[in-house]
Amino acid sequence: MIFREVEDRDLIAKARRGSVDAYNVLVSRWERRVFNYLLRLVANREDALDLSQDVFLKAYQNLRKLDDPAKFPAWLFRIAHNEAYSLLRKNRPDGELAVEPRSGEASARMYPMELTLAVQGALGRLSEDQREAVLLKIYQGFKFEEMAEILDCPISTVKSRLYTALDLLKQTLAPINTGGTE
Amino acid sequence: MSCSSVDLKAYLLGELPPAERVSVHNHLHACPACSDEMERLDSMRTALASLADEEPPQRIAFVSDKVFEPRWWQTIWRSGPAMGFASAALLAAAIFVHAYARHAAPAVNTAEIEQRIEQQVNARIGAAVTQAVAAAEQRQDQRIAQAVTTAEQRFDAQYRSELANAHQMADYYRDQNARFMVASNNAARSSQ
Repeated sequence: MIFREVEDRDLIAKARRGSVDAYNVLVSRWERRVFNYLLRLVANREDALDLSQDVFLKAYQNLRKLDDPAKFPAWLFRIAHNEAYSLLRKNRPDGELAVEPRSGEASARMYPMELTLAVQGALGRLSEDQREAVLLKIYQGFKFEEMAEILDCPISTVKSRLYTALDLLKQTLAPINTGGTE
Repeated sequence: MSCSSVDLKAYLLGELPPAERVSVHNHLHACPACSDEMERLDSMRTALASLADEEPPQRIAFVSDKVFEPRWWQTIWRSGPAMGFASAALLAAAIFVHAYARHAAPAVNTAEIEQRIEQQVNARIGAAVTQAVAAAEQRQDQRIAQAVTTAEQRFDAQYRSELANAHQMADYYRDQNARFMVASNNAARSSQ
């Protein structure tokens, strides 16, 4: 992780001096994480891919505004968050759910596909704010402070959204026994 | 430590400071209710972790465009160490010049200098625009040439394909004709 941070910093410095190749390496390191974050937010592969491209383009154009290269991940996901919410607001001004909740609670023993559907369904039942808090914490591993920067809100709000989401997810997913593939 | 003061979710998410983490860990061993709750939270996290990442359907990459690439002075300007070195060199040069050139400065015609600078700036802007336009035209020409080549190749391939079909059809009819001739000869022989 330390090596990666150092190398990212080096790539950022080169990209700031105009090296597109260095920036492409940086993109290749982060595109999968950004794409999956956006995919789970907007629930559409084409939109997620388009948004990913926009995110990396904006990041390149604004790379010189990044004060501390060590904060690149949170800064990048802040751009991704803004792009995703811009699209969600455009598509759904009335604020309806992005992901259609799938039916089916988790049972004691489930097979991988059922489990995936149950998890997707449980995430789909959360509000957008709650779902994004889960995505940033559970799937992207950001700290509360970084999440507060990405979401532009106090840490107390981040914790409130995340804890409420975890309580809801626990009700749906806690009975799952993941050993159903025997 | 009482149950109400235990933040199990922060413990689960690795957000507690080390000392508090140890306290919660010890509490979990002593409190069945919190231990059960922790088990449910852990099951939920395991279930969430089962959702695998997808590969992006297409790789994202950017191409360099000469027109938008930074000039040499922009590269230096953006480079901290180089800029620092250049500043130091300028400062040294200024001290040197100041020390050896203490004679009265000749009268300066500022209007003439401004005019000269304006001419130079205009000339550079004109050259840069000309260069950018030429580069854009060159790229356009290349694209057109490539499109023409592609069309020609496609036409050639199509022509060859149709020619092959025609040959195949001719072979087929020749073969059919031969069979017909053999059959008619056989029929004539049998009728005799």
